[in-house]
Amino acid sequence: MKTRDTVLIALFAALIVVLSLMPPIPLPAIPVPVTLQTLGTMLAGAMLGPLRGGLACLLYLLLAAIGLPVLPGGRGGLGVFFGPTGGFLAGMALGACVTGWLARRAALGARNAGLAVAGYVAACVVGGIVVVYAVGIPWLAVVTQMEWSKAALAVAAFVPGDLVKAVVAAWVAWRVERVWPVLRESP
Amino acid sequence: MLIEFDQVVVATPHSQALKGVSLTLSQRRIGVVGPNGAGKSTLVKLLNGLVLPTAGRVLVDGLDTRRDPKAVRRRVGFVFQNPENQIVYPIVREDLVFGLKPLGLEAAECARRVGARLDELGVAHLADRASHTLSGGECQLVALASVLVMEPALVVFDEPTTQLDLRNRNRVARAIAALDRPALVVSHDLELLHDFDRVLVVADGCIAADDAPGPALRWYREHCA
Amino acid sequence: MMIEPLYINRASPLHRLPAALKLALLVAAGAGLVAVHDARWLGLAAALAALLVWSTGVGAAALWRQLRGLLWVLAAIGVFTVAFQGWQAAPAVLLRIAALVGLALAVTLSTRSSDLIAVCERALRPLQRLGLLDAGKVALALALALRFVPEIWRHYQEIREAQAARGLARHPLALIVPLVVRTLKRAEQVAQAIDARS
Repeated sequence: MKTRDTVLIALFAALIVVLSLMPPIPLPAIPVPVTLQTLGTMLAGAMLGPLRGGLACLLYLLLAAIGLPVLPGGRGGLGVFFGPTGGFLAGMALGACVTGWLARRAALGARNAGLAVAGYVAACVVGGIVVVYAVGIPWLAVVTQMEWSKAALAVAAFVPGDLVKAVVAAWVAWRVERVWPVLRESP
Repeated sequence: MLIEFDQVVVATPHSQALKGVSLTLSQRRIGVVGPNGAGKSTLVKLLNGLVLPTAGRVLVDGLDTRRDPKAVRRRVGFVFQNPENQIVYPIVREDLVFGLKPLGLEAAECARRVGARLDELGVAHLADRASHTLSGGECQLVALASVLVMEPALVVFDEPTTQLDLRNRNRVARAIAALDRPALVVSHDLELLHDFDRVLVVADGCIAADDAPGPALRWYREHCA
Repeated sequence: MMIEPLYINRASPLHRLPAALKLALLVAAGAGLVAVHDARWLGLAAALAALLVWSTGVGAAALWRQLRGLLWVLAAIGVFTVAFQGWQAAPAVLLRIAALVGLALAVTLSTRSSDLIAVCERALRPLQRLGLLDAGKVALALALALRFVPEIWRHYQEIREAQAARGLARHPLALIVPLVVRTLKRAEQVAQAIDARS
């Protein structure tokens, strides 16, 4: 892990903080304005690759855990981790890893731009949504003593917003990688 | 402090940044000017091993930059163009202490050196400030302090005043003039170099002129303006 | 825009407990509370959590900021619990969450970030010995992240203003590409500066 990798991890963690603290964006047909936090974690994976992307997310979560208000709305501390949505936070780090792994395969190896973007979208959806919810829903079910299926229903409303974020993250990752390749030489 | 360039070539897949430069540098104040993309930054980054020669070698006090990069970096301090990206810790004092880590000094000695350097540059009052609240000039002075705590034998400045306003530019210019060790300064700010010992003009990957400031800068103004 | 820790600087009994102990107790309480189903015990736990939070000396505004998001979540969970499990199940569920979050919040408010980092360091030492981790690099990464959050935030505001000046409506998506590119450029310069000093 060279200096450059350490710096990329740290600066991406800082980027996720900035994205988390930006005002939430209202989207048409979606009841709650979406925060850009998960956009940041998907981007970390898609741009830095599995190892650095996962570590960037972990660093972000560490900043929150030690009591800094870096979660959307200026929240922070251990309270969020021990609450009903704690699993979604933990899932983000694993999700970033998966996004990175898929992005390296699907997006970098693609033969044309369309396939590359599709690859990035797939990576962001699987890592940023499937994995995150796969960790978040069981956690929620345990904390609230609901059945898994009911817990899944409870968070279903957030999926459309997350899908939009996944597409945006994929597009940003694709555009930036063309100008400033980073994923290409991830360790 | 003796620096030797021995037929140094720096080539990238697309171009030749430096084409066979041979030089001996020993003066106390050396300036480097040239058009953008001429190879100035490449030339000075060879001095502390940030760039390695594709062919030829660079010797700093007899040390080969390719073979002893760590020893070379201990002798050559580097102040970069962008003020804010050189300070890596959230509090100024912490950043200077970080620079001393490779030297393995005791805490008391660290604190003494840090205090002394900040004092010397007139920025002791910034020691406990948050890094992001510093002005451009204050950043450059703190960056210089963080380089000086390591007691380098030579300090290289890569366009130190380019991003500064006039007042901050003057502060940095004064600090460079008062520096008690050899300095090599790359600059677009030709005023900065007028009382230097020697000025190199880098154009198109070669040393186009190498003289006292007066003649060298005259050549530069005539041929590269 | 400096990130201020949530820690409250006071001398309450909770403040005086060592960080590692508080974390261990928190984890134990968490595991324990999940196993308890009686709303009365959970109510007691929630009351204790509220008392501990109050003892840290947190201000009303700061507390509201931390709990605001949770209240919406609790409302939604309350509705779902009532819908799927009936009225009787709701109090236990809600009190359990209140207790868990309250206890965790009390620990955060009464423990310095630096002390929590020290606990992490000790916990990760075995990994360091196995050569999987470099404590120096982790400390540097932490410092770098804290150092550059205000700078990246500043750049975000600059881009927003520049776009407004060009008459482009607040298009958050158009901000993100330049923000990311600038961050990558910055990373390269910062890495060079660190290498020059090592």
